[in-house]
Amino acid sequence: MPQIITEANLRSLIDSLVKESKLVVGPKEAGSMVLYQPLSNGADLKLGALPRRSSKELFFPICEDILTFGKEDGVTKVKDVDRASFPDAVLIGALPCDAGSPSILDAVFSWDYNDDFYLERRKKSTIVGIACTSCDDACFCTAVGYAPDSPAGSDLFLTPLKDGSYACNAVTEKGEKLVSAHGSLFKEGAAADAAPLAAPDTAKLDLAKIKEWLNTHFEDPLWQSIADVCLGCGACAFICPACHCFDINDEGTPDHGTRRKHWDACGFGKFTNHASGHNPRDIQNKRYRNRIMHKFKYYDDKFGKTLCTGCGRCIRACPVGIDIGDILNKINVQAG
Amino acid sequence: MCQSKNIYLPNLATIEAIVDETPDVRTFRLVFQDENVRENFSFRAGQFAEYSAFGAGESTFCIASAPTRKGYIECCFRSVGRVTEELRRLEVGDTIGVRGPYGNSFPIEDFYGKNLVFVAGGIALPPLRTVIWNCLDLRDKFGDITIVYGARSEADLVYKRELAEWQERSDVRLVKCVDPGGNGPGFDGKVGFVPSVLEEAAPSAENTIALVCGPPIMIKFTLPVLERLGFTDDAIYTTLENRMKCGVGKCGRCNVGNVYVCKDGPVFTAGQVKAMSQEF
Amino acid sequence: MNAKAQKAKGCGIEPAYYDAVTQAIRSEAVKVLKEGAVSAVIGYLPGRRKSAAVPAVVTTEEEAGRLIFSPACVNNLSLYLTKAKKGILPGGKIGIVAKGCDLRALAGLMGESQIKRDDLFIIGINCAGVQGAVAAGNGQLTEASIAKKCRECTAHTPEGVDFVAGTLPHLDGLTPLEAEELARIEAMPQAERWAYWKEQFSRCIRCMACRQVCPFCYCEQCLCDKNRPQAVESSPRPAGNTAWHIVRAMHLAGRCAGCAECERSCPMDIPLNLLNRRMAQELKELYDYEASMAPQEKGPLNQYKEDDDQSFIK
Repeated sequence: MPQIITEANLRSLIDSLVKESKLVVGPKEAGSMVLYQPLSNGADLKLGALPRRSSKELFFPICEDILTFGKEDGVTKVKDVDRASFPDAVLIGALPCDAGSPSILDAVFSWDYNDDFYLERRKKSTIVGIACTSCDDACFCTAVGYAPDSPAGSDLFLTPLKDGSYACNAVTEKGEKLVSAHGSLFKEGAAADAAPLAAPDTAKLDLAKIKEWLNTHFEDPLWQSIADVCLGCGACAFICPACHCFDINDEGTPDHGTRRKHWDACGFGKFTNHASGHNPRDIQNKRYRNRIMHKFKYYDDKFGKTLCTGCGRCIRACPVGIDIGDILNKINVQAG
Repeated sequence: MCQSKNIYLPNLATIEAIVDETPDVRTFRLVFQDENVRENFSFRAGQFAEYSAFGAGESTFCIASAPTRKGYIECCFRSVGRVTEELRRLEVGDTIGVRGPYGNSFPIEDFYGKNLVFVAGGIALPPLRTVIWNCLDLRDKFGDITIVYGARSEADLVYKRELAEWQERSDVRLVKCVDPGGNGPGFDGKVGFVPSVLEEAAPSAENTIALVCGPPIMIKFTLPVLERLGFTDDAIYTTLENRMKCGVGKCGRCNVGNVYVCKDGPVFTAGQVKAMSQEF
Repeated sequence: MNAKAQKAKGCGIEPAYYDAVTQAIRSEAVKVLKEGAVSAVIGYLPGRRKSAAVPAVVTTEEEAGRLIFSPACVNNLSLYLTKAKKGILPGGKIGIVAKGCDLRALAGLMGESQIKRDDLFIIGINCAGVQGAVAAGNGQLTEASIAKKCRECTAHTPEGVDFVAGTLPHLDGLTPLEAEELARIEAMPQAERWAYWKEQFSRCIRCMACRQVCPFCYCEQCLCDKNRPQAVESSPRPAGNTAWHIVRAMHLAGRCAGCAECERSCPMDIPLNLLNRRMAQELKELYDYEASMAPQEKGPLNQYKEDDDQSFIK
């Protein structure tokens, strides 16, 4: 018998978690958009809309302090950031294209050197994913191996049912714990029919073939044709669930300052600029190529994963309408 | 506070000595402030570190001293950016941050019993100087050692006192050069570009490893010379530099194709470099 | 609001209007390419997504025959003529499709000696308006989907162009939502206004889309990328965000053409055009200057006149 939770109880679950001093993050209305933000109660949860930014920022914030420095009696001291006090967190209502992102990013933040900022948050987080019931023509999760009902990355996965309640599937131990700790909100029972899932209108891509094409098309007119239009902003990267490039900068003075890590984007002209002025990716052509290569080849070469969940955010956000779904389709066709 | 290591947290080091190599290139001799770090810090020739000028940020340079010399490390930098300009303002006794050592290294043990040819240009001598002293400190393990080093002008030659020392030594062949027009009266080296001076010096490729480091244009013209001299791609080593921030394979900017220079490099054979996506 | 009500409000522009503009652009673009009068035409092509349009540089008659004009043709294409996009155009005269607001940008760029009129063949559009957010559109221009800037447009009819595409349909007035919003913010006590903008800037993620999409942000070295000394902190935090948006607004004062591309491109919905409009108001009051479709040799802030307002000198 599956576990069932009603929508009212799902909101009560949020109330309980907040009372337990957990950081509860979920889709919430924020002015003209929905964002993954801390929820102060169950009523805050806004389901049924894709938040403008992905949920990666729960683990990999837009900007975070990584150390502070300063002088005490003329002596330079460096202070670590207290990561042990990062709160226990529950990400609730993450759509599959967002819930899946940490399991992609774990690899890069833990190969050889552990980025404890990311990993500590990850360790202390439980992800409650939810199957997706609405999409638009920018969505292409099914094309890149995800699905509106893909539980990948979720600890607990909710499937909306026709009667307004949710079937709960504990995917991991963390998910099981969340359910058992709040057993009264869940009940065992026969599930009603599942609500109709979103059905993105895209053909499945052959990612292996696309990668093969990328292996042999480092030089290709395709890159130039995109670069002609691309403005070199970072909108696509910043709202992407999988993009993880960052910059590190000092702010303040030698006497009192903070070193911060914050999002960066490979599309920016200065991203790879050497202090000497030499720039290996000096033109947009090379920068956009790096974006596609990193997502569909380099990351796979290194970590065996594709750096894309098909959420379509970059397509919606691109000021000049660059459509990664279209680009991948073209490559897929060319790759035969 | 019990937590795992913050990979971005530098060790503090005191500037023990400053040497001006050229008008804009400076060497720092650094001693770690923490006794434990001072005693246990070890690295291999070719590895790099992230050096902090607090308030300005971090900059990436190789560790320019030899791993065989204990108790301190040296770095050498040109003031060209925000961090290096701030570093330049620091004085003996001041504190900087050092994260590292990072990256791979020259496989020195594989070079035992072989002749070595070092080819360097301009400010790219420091990444080879660590190897040169490493090898000279273990002199009997190697055959002939040839150093071809050039800069734009006499003033731009770094490590001048060490060049003089190498010139004196009978167990090192130093061929020093400056670009045409860069020589003053009484310059005792050759006049010409590094690749052509190398070709003229014509070191034998027999049982020899070449270690090359310099600006991209020098590398471009040096590799064909080495090829003509009979060096195979796997007998030529170089070290790549790219803009880095994290130094530990996360931040995403130093990659050349799928190769992360900070983790997979910075030391590569010519064969490995040729196999990379050509985006330098 | 049902379709009939929208129509009554004068904003249910018939698809036939866009079709007619499209046909006019196509035939003119094909013609000038065929005659060799231009080497390329910068226009809009349909995107993969339903009712999407993407900027494109077309060089063949075949491609020119696929150019479109629709409510999704939001981009100010003059950007592609600036040095921020140098190297993408072939040599020779370039054709460009321009709405009224884009024409003001072209005029501004001419005034700043960035482009020359003689190098351009301008296909001006009798423009009824475009959508606000592209993603929200279903291909129809309605009162709900029309861009805020278009509600108060004073540049429907192109001037000084080489060819005019389409005939302007009847347009009824729409409530000037942006002007109202600006007035509302202006009326706030200073502290409240500051709080409003602080809240807006706090959402900024520093993706720089606002800068990259602006035809006037063609500086080779942007002040906010400078780090010796650093004028604007680069991390997406309140201090740097606020500094950046103020620098941006100030640097565009007297230059901004009012295309509102910055606001449209902002993934965080920061109402940047309110700042632009506020600066424009200031320029109007101080120098009687307004961005127009006619190039002016020097912007008001690039010259000194004896009768300039000097009351700010205290």
